[in-house]
Amino acid sequence: MEIRIDNLTKKFGDVVGVEDLTLHIDDGEFVAFLGPSGCGKTTTLLTLAGIYKPTDGLIRFGDRVVNTVQPKDRNIGMVFQSYALYPHMTIFQNIAYPLKLKKVPKNVQNEQVRQVANVMGIGELLDRRPGQLSGGQQQRVALGRALVKEPDVLLFDEPLSNLDARLRLTMRGEIKHLQKNLGITSIYVTHDQVEAMTMADRIAVMNRGHLQAFDAPDELYDRPKTRFVAGFVGNPPMNFLDVEVSQSNGHFLAEADSIQLPLGADRGAPPAGHGGPVVMGIRPEDIQIVEKGDVTGEIFVVEPLGREDLIDVRVGPHGFILLADTEKQHRAGERVSLNFDMTQAQFFDPQTERSLLWRQ
Amino acid sequence: MTARENLFDSDKLKVEEAPNSLQRDLIDGLRLGFISILVMLAAAFFFSGIVHPLFALGSVEETVMDVLTRLCLLVLPFVAYIVAAGPARRYSATNMARALFLALTCTVILFAAISAGHYALSYGAFAPRPSLEMSLSQTEAGIRVDAIVAGGAADIAEIKVGDIITAIRRDQVDLAAFNKRLNQSEEEAPLRLRFIRGDEEMQETVRVVLVSDKQLSVLIPGLVLGLVFTAIIVFLPGHWAPYIALVGLLSPLIVGYAWVIIATFSYRTEGLIPLDGNDNFGGLTLKNWESIIVGNIAGLEFNIVPIFMTSLAIALVMTFIVLLVSSMAGYALSRMHFPGRRFFLSFTLILHGFPAITLLIPIFFVLLRLGGIPIIGDLIGFNTIGGIALVMVAFQLPLGVWLMKGFFDNIPWDMERSALIDGASRFRTYWEILLPQIRPGLLALGIFAFIGGWNAYIIPATYSIGSGVSNLPVFLEELIDATAPVDWNQVAAVGMFQLIPIFIFFIFAQEYLLNIYAGGTKGSS
Ligand SMILES: Nc1ncnc2c1ncn2[C@@H]1O[C@H](COP(=O)(O)OP(=O)(O)OP(=O)(O)O)[C@@H](O)[C@H]1O
Ligand SMILES: [Mg+2]
Repeated sequence: MEIRIDNLTKKFGDVVGVEDLTLHIDDGEFVAFLGPSGCGKTTTLLTLAGIYKPTDGLIRFGDRVVNTVQPKDRNIGMVFQSYALYPHMTIFQNIAYPLKLKKVPKNVQNEQVRQVANVMGIGELLDRRPGQLSGGQQQRVALGRALVKEPDVLLFDEPLSNLDARLRLTMRGEIKHLQKNLGITSIYVTHDQVEAMTMADRIAVMNRGHLQAFDAPDELYDRPKTRFVAGFVGNPPMNFLDVEVSQSNGHFLAEADSIQLPLGADRGAPPAGHGGPVVMGIRPEDIQIVEKGDVTGEIFVVEPLGREDLIDVRVGPHGFILLADTEKQHRAGERVSLNFDMTQAQFFDPQTERSLLWRQ
Repeated sequence: MTARENLFDSDKLKVEEAPNSLQRDLIDGLRLGFISILVMLAAAFFFSGIVHPLFALGSVEETVMDVLTRLCLLVLPFVAYIVAAGPARRYSATNMARALFLALTCTVILFAAISAGHYALSYGAFAPRPSLEMSLSQTEAGIRVDAIVAGGAADIAEIKVGDIITAIRRDQVDLAAFNKRLNQSEEEAPLRLRFIRGDEEMQETVRVVLVSDKQLSVLIPGLVLGLVFTAIIVFLPGHWAPYIALVGLLSPLIVGYAWVIIATFSYRTEGLIPLDGNDNFGGLTLKNWESIIVGNIAGLEFNIVPIFMTSLAIALVMTFIVLLVSSMAGYALSRMHFPGRRFFLSFTLILHGFPAITLLIPIFFVLLRLGGIPIIGDLIGFNTIGGIALVMVAFQLPLGVWLMKGFFDNIPWDMERSALIDGASRFRTYWEILLPQIRPGLLALGIFAFIGGWNAYIIPATYSIGSGVSNLPVFLEELIDATAPVDWNQVAAVGMFQLIPIFIFFIFAQEYLLNIYAGGTKGSS
């Protein structure tokens, strides 16, 4: 089912949940809503589900405007962060509940519930109550309940955030796999960007009730259109630095105090043309510690992440986060020389925070 | 054993690894004991010396203070023993001998101290008092001699048991005057007693001797009691303590119920002991119950069935309406926004705090007028079960609505949203998803309402004057009013009869009340 959201606004009194959101989701697409806490992801989802009435704007499922359609008439399946299983019912009754409401005959119910339960690997748990299941099992039940009525749209509100890291990894794969097989249009809310990057066909990045970007994961990563997106997508986050970019006989140079970084024309021309100070962004992956590089600084903190060390290097007043091989055994206080891969540098207007490289 | 308990145990062990010296422990225990003595004495002094004079004008407060003072003094030694022996308990797991030694030594020392204090404070409990070595009691004819100490002063003067003393010399005396006279006498002072033996009036002179009426035979049982008490404290497993405290606190109730039950099955009772017509133990009978069924108590004729049904009707109607209205109103107040919601909430709270009795007379007139309306008046007017139930429901609703709102507030929104998305209508969500989850709350409120309706007295009594509408509590009151002398065993039987449904109700409700749902929710969003 194709979903088209046009200029959607939802306010709670004076509090803005989402504002002027326009989003077109294709049939069978898996879209992730990504954004910091309180940015309006859940609000958008619940408005789509019909729990909240939009203050303004249009929501269309296919060609049908559903603004005032009751939740029960939208044929939606939703998985909540809290799972929201019905504690007084058995697992079987929980999963069968949507079917019961659809007045599906008992024997068909039975068959469908068992089928879904087997797919979810909870076939043996049908007689238990939710309180007797582990978090992971409850999560599967919630998923099963959302799937059993063969919904047109699946909504996920941070379904994995209560699970441990390993279980999250397997569930991620399973959900993605299921969604692809069934071809159900899905919206997946998360503030875990790894989840969004690995699962989604496209990611809608939101901040403070506004859509910041809506693009494929790689696109967001390589060509962020706003500073917020650049900073939010990628882990560890991008380094930002106020620089001036100048041009002299065909060579571009980004400068900040003692730091001088030569640039290619494709990256250097737009910021140089902008004139005045700009914000340069460079990802930790694009800075290397080398024998002899563009810049020297002092290691301030080393945080071991396992395979890599997260290193905070201070160059004069500026700090850079970068990643280095643990085997190099860098220590705080050590002086190091850095090499910047300026072919990956991003530039933003300091006022509008829009990218100077990729226009919208 | 859980990890927590383990932790607790290892804490305990640490204490035991480095024991204090015996002397140190003793001093600690004694210090605690003496502090508690001082506290209790201060409390007793506070009641008798400070509060008492303040209320000296009111006789009720006077007796209350008196009771409190006596209570303080009475329990003082035991509190001291408990407190002093308490620290010894921590040795009871590892070194029982030491625990006992500490506790008993402390107790003996405290006992000695308390006795000595008592001696000093009561101006010499062992101090000899003037006495004639006989025990007396006041009778209508005069002071009767009940017993005589063999070889004592009275015996020497040939006073006999059964003599009725009327006067000392020529002064007529009663027992109080006699004792006063005696206490003012010196040793060897002669008292010439006039008394009646048989039909003869006689005189004898008795010489006053000095005796101490508090003797070691009194002190020794006291000490033994104290020591037993202390030993119990040391040996008593910790988890028993709450039960013992509970039983202690509930003992008036337990005794009360015991009396009601015994009384209903006996001819008459003396305390908790059933007696027959000749004051002998026994006299168990079913006649109290029989007369309820027959419908005739001491000439008052009645039929218990309609009375019972009225009680039941009031209770059931009330329970049903209270549950229905409270749960729906509670849901709306918890989940919906509408104008006046906050006002409604605070208003019901005020109503709940409002003393309902003050509305008794105004409502009387309201019901009287309602009764004048055709049809409606027959349902909820004056002198109808409906009217009574309506008033009682109104008084119960504020509590019910708030209670239900609280229960609904605790159900996560997601649960409801999930049901709506699964395809349920709003009412179905309420009925199938939310109500089952507040079942303990519904049950608690239902019990409140039922018991409130079943035991209702003032409202049924007020709004059913002079009519056939009478429930069990009202009937009980009529029974006491209409029969003289009141046969309390009959009254107890009717009271017991009234209790039966409540017992049954609780036996079944217990299971539900203890049934706490394990929720399928984690976290929140
Ligand atoms: N029922 C409500 N009444 C009033 N304000 C609300 C309500 N629901 C959400 N909001 C507000 O709307 C904004 C968006 O909330 P929303 O729940 O959509 O955030 P979110 O992106 O889901 O955050 P999180 O990642 O923490 O779940 C927040 O500022 C929140 O306080
Ligand atoms: Mg949310």
